[in-house]
Amino acid sequence: MLIVIPELDEEQVENTIGRFRTIIERTGGEAGEVNHWGRRKLAYEIDHRTDGFYAVMEFTAGERTLTELKRMLRVSDDVLRHMVVKLPPSYAHKPLPEPTEATA
Amino acid sequence: MGKRRNGPPRGGRPTKSKPCMFCKENVAYVDYKDYNLLRRFVSDRGKVRARRVTGLCPQHQREAASAIKRAREMALLPYVVGR
Repeated sequence: MLIVIPELDEEQVENTIGRFRTIIERTGGEAGEVNHWGRRKLAYEIDHRTDGFYAVMEFTAGERTLTELKRMLRVSDDVLRHMVVKLPPSYAHKPLPEPTEATA
Repeated sequence: MGKRRNGPPRGGRPTKSKPCMFCKENVAYVDYKDYNLLRRFVSDRGKVRARRVTGLCPQHQREAASAIKRAREMALLPYVVGR
């Protein structure tokens, strides 16, 4: 899951996420569908920003993918916050919670 | 896990424990992305509610707590409310 800065428009957000997708694929991981939550209010201020674009993607990764992806995520100026979570094997796909506090 | 503590407790109401919400629904993984669900387990100040309030079993209480912490990291839930 990552949060992209709100200053970009939809297309730029798409590009940013696409960049990470290629990183995953290039280093031998498998990238799944990107789940766009859209623009959402943050629960608290991060770097004086009150909202951001949320996106969630599931992927498989080896060691090489993970280090490279994490490095790129940290370095990228467009990414406000990111988190890589290891999913349990029993993880079931659930429909996303509706973004209640979304600001269009 | 329907542990029932019967008998007269010292003071207060007799305790009647309900089964844990996640156990009842057979939840294997408490998702940090489901912030609307997690909101039930934090106080209006944003603090994690105690097990005696949430009524969760030890395992799920722990999982819910770490899910809340993950959600906080991603600004889905607040660290503090009103300050």
